[in-house]
Amino acid sequence: MRHPLAPHGYVKWTLVWVVMVLTLTGCWSSRELDELGVAVAIGVDKDEDDRYVLSVQIINPSEVASDAPTTRPPVTLYTTTGDTLFQAFRNMTTHSPRKVYVSQLRMVVLGPEIVNEGVTPALDLLYRNHEFRPTFFVTVARDASVSDILSTLTPYERIPAKKLMDSLIDTEENLGITKSVTIDNLIADVRSNGKEAVLPGILMEGDAATGTSTTNVEKVDAPTKLSIDGLSIFRGDQLVGWLKEEESQGYNYATGTVQSTIETFACDNPGTLSVEILRSNASMDAQLRSGKPTITIRVEVEGNVGEVDCVIDLSDDDKMKDINKKTEEVIEKKINAAINVTQEEYASDIFGFGNVIHRNHPAYWKQIKYDWKSHFSELEVKTDVKVKIRRKGKSTQPLQSEG
Amino acid sequence: MTDKDKQTNELDDSAPHALFSRVEKNIAYIETALGNSTDLVIRHIQLNKTKCAVLFIDGLVDKHTVQNFLMEALMLEMPKRRVSVTTLYNTIKDASLPIGELEEVKQFKDLFSRLLSGETLLLLDEETSALAASTKGWRDRGVQETNSESVIRGPKEAFTETLRTNTALVRRKIKDPKLRIDGKVIGRVTQTEIAVIYVDGLADESVVEEVHSRLDAIDIDGVLESGYLEEYIEDAHFSPFPTVYYSERPDAIAGGLLEGKVAIITDGTPNVLLVPALFVNFLQSSEDYYQRYDIGTFIRLLRLLSFCVALFMPSLYIAFTTFHQEMIPPSLLISLAAQREGVPFPAFVEALLMEFTFEILREAGVRLPKAVGSAVSIVGALVLGESAVQAGLVSPAMVIVVALTAISSFVFPSYNMAIPIRMLRFLFMILAATFGLYGIILGLIALIIHMCSLKSFGSPYMSPFAPLTTKDQKDVLVRFPHWGLFSRPSTQAKNNQGRTSHSSRGGQS
Repeated sequence: MRHPLAPHGYVKWTLVWVVMVLTLTGCWSSRELDELGVAVAIGVDKDEDDRYVLSVQIINPSEVASDAPTTRPPVTLYTTTGDTLFQAFRNMTTHSPRKVYVSQLRMVVLGPEIVNEGVTPALDLLYRNHEFRPTFFVTVARDASVSDILSTLTPYERIPAKKLMDSLIDTEENLGITKSVTIDNLIADVRSNGKEAVLPGILMEGDAATGTSTTNVEKVDAPTKLSIDGLSIFRGDQLVGWLKEEESQGYNYATGTVQSTIETFACDNPGTLSVEILRSNASMDAQLRSGKPTITIRVEVEGNVGEVDCVIDLSDDDKMKDINKKTEEVIEKKINAAINVTQEEYASDIFGFGNVIHRNHPAYWKQIKYDWKSHFSELEVKTDVKVKIRRKGKSTQPLQSEG
Repeated sequence: MTDKDKQTNELDDSAPHALFSRVEKNIAYIETALGNSTDLVIRHIQLNKTKCAVLFIDGLVDKHTVQNFLMEALMLEMPKRRVSVTTLYNTIKDASLPIGELEEVKQFKDLFSRLLSGETLLLLDEETSALAASTKGWRDRGVQETNSESVIRGPKEAFTETLRTNTALVRRKIKDPKLRIDGKVIGRVTQTEIAVIYVDGLADESVVEEVHSRLDAIDIDGVLESGYLEEYIEDAHFSPFPTVYYSERPDAIAGGLLEGKVAIITDGTPNVLLVPALFVNFLQSSEDYYQRYDIGTFIRLLRLLSFCVALFMPSLYIAFTTFHQEMIPPSLLISLAAQREGVPFPAFVEALLMEFTFEILREAGVRLPKAVGSAVSIVGALVLGESAVQAGLVSPAMVIVVALTAISSFVFPSYNMAIPIRMLRFLFMILAATFGLYGIILGLIALIIHMCSLKSFGSPYMSPFAPLTTKDQKDVLVRFPHWGLFSRPSTQAKNNQGRTSHSSRGGQS
């Protein structure tokens, strides 16, 4: 008879299976935290020999999360070259003591050479490789080399890549002169016929050599600083120009991506009045009139009176209507400026008017699809901005007014 | 058949069945059978010219009772004129002895079990039956406060080692004539008394029958603790999960009886078994019902959370830090990575090291005499704390993980549910170190399938979740107010479901 403790057949086989599974596989693809070089920013550019130049900003964890910081910098920059981007990545192992881990990547900075030449070849790896999560932002280095930007130490926020990302998000949310673009959005725009891509720019102020040393962050006012610039305009996968701040804002109004910003205009009396924009919505429509398309952009904006620097009676309904109207004019002006510069100077449909026509009049779009660029420059665009001022702040009267 | 005899009394083989008529022969036989044990007291007396003997085991009887109610009555209140032995016997039996419980004994088997459980025997010459007076009385611990299941609000008393005290404690909670206490003796040598308690009409008859039949089937030489019985009667012998609940709190047992469960009290241990036991029972404390329902609910959810923490925390830590670094928020990742700089072991070995250290400390703490206890806690704090971190052997995050796991495993009201968690934790750690989150999920699926396959005396172990019984959810993760607990758990009290009447709630409705 079977002993009561003797295992059943299936128990025996299950045990054998479990033991085999556990012992034969090992700890495959497991990596300890201290074997990772956590990359937070990647810079991609090309050198004179048309080879890829890859710069990787890697965190030095014991410097960042230490209560006894030393003079070593919180991040390290490694730069390698390669015929392909992937090869450049693997060449990184000759420099870095740890394998580069890119899942926590915050930001990719594209260099001036590669954006002029075309970014598509470089994007493939960043999108294809499973280790890249498509949540990082893609930016363009403006008037500086990628490695200069990535080797600049930033005060206050110890990890430069995180500083750049936070500044970018803050600027986008509170000023609206730029727009954060993730890799999947960028690829969608580059591949689309009816929309061109934009990318935010990164600006370096000051001397590159000072920025790379820890003395840069030892000063109250760091001599070398990184800041977020307006939007760059792409045509296809090549950079063709830059929008000014107001034009970038106009672009964001037109595409409905303004979250909050400030609009300032002159009062009737001497002085200025600022309106805080709190919400904005935009919609685009395409109409076909006698075979010619017209785009209508409707923007609805809500805001508060933010700062009154002139004599005006806010309790007067007519004055409030006037403020609404003036704000509308300012916004409309910005939108039109953006449209004009893209239509006339760059012929790049960053607003996605082509897609609007495609959606509303697919048959017409088929005819003009391949000739869209020339059509775009002659496109008639109407803007219709509606502003509603909700609140006036704590005082209905400006400080200058008497009584 | 022979098995059955053997089970009921091992002395059977040598003992004659009936008592002899000569008192000397009986005494001689008893003395031989007990091997002239020194605690056997034999008092020879003459009653009405008849040779008699009073026998008891010293230490098991209440000497005061023997002295005042037995000896005194026998010596002073005997008939003066000469009577026949039968008359004398009947007089003593029916009239003379002021003792509550008096029984006739005709068999040696019976005689020994009574003598050895503290009754006093009166043997008369020329009479083939002896009288057994219940004079049980020995030193016991008395009803004391519970050590292992303490509560803030609620009765503090705990069961003791004495069966009768324990049955009395249950009776005092449930004064219903339908409370049934069935007796049993298990253990060929120990002759341990067992009481099966249930409320007739509430408990499912088939469960009561099943309990009886499983207990009757036990053939063992000794039962020293209810754990012996538990391993015999539990449904899943090879599962780490307990399918029999135990408690030393009379109120917890009484609460179970009111839900239609069956309690098994074993003489000699304060731990009373309760069946059927569901998984959720182990996550509930009797205090849940004494505190208000809102905090009761909160604490139950907290316990479920700590169940998960105690089971998965170290394995999740291993999985996240060695396989899924992308799932850790960046600033946390940097902080964890900084802590791991210079730690010589992989996260898995680190975790294993700390968990084993903790298990060792815990075991040492349970067994150690109280006087040495503080030394262990000091050393333990060094091994598991700052010093280990400073020595560079483990990372501070791992210390926190292990400490949190340890504390969480103490949240369960019942100690025996903490045991499978303690053991399965290591299994999950191995799975996490081998396959990462994928392994943990596979293990979790296997665990849930296993738990759903368990049954306890006919009730599905995971009920009322699987199978889902909406009506029974009122007293599982949340505890409804008492007026909302209108019915008993449907898997256990099949016959009598009603618990409250809706009009009984006071206040505004």
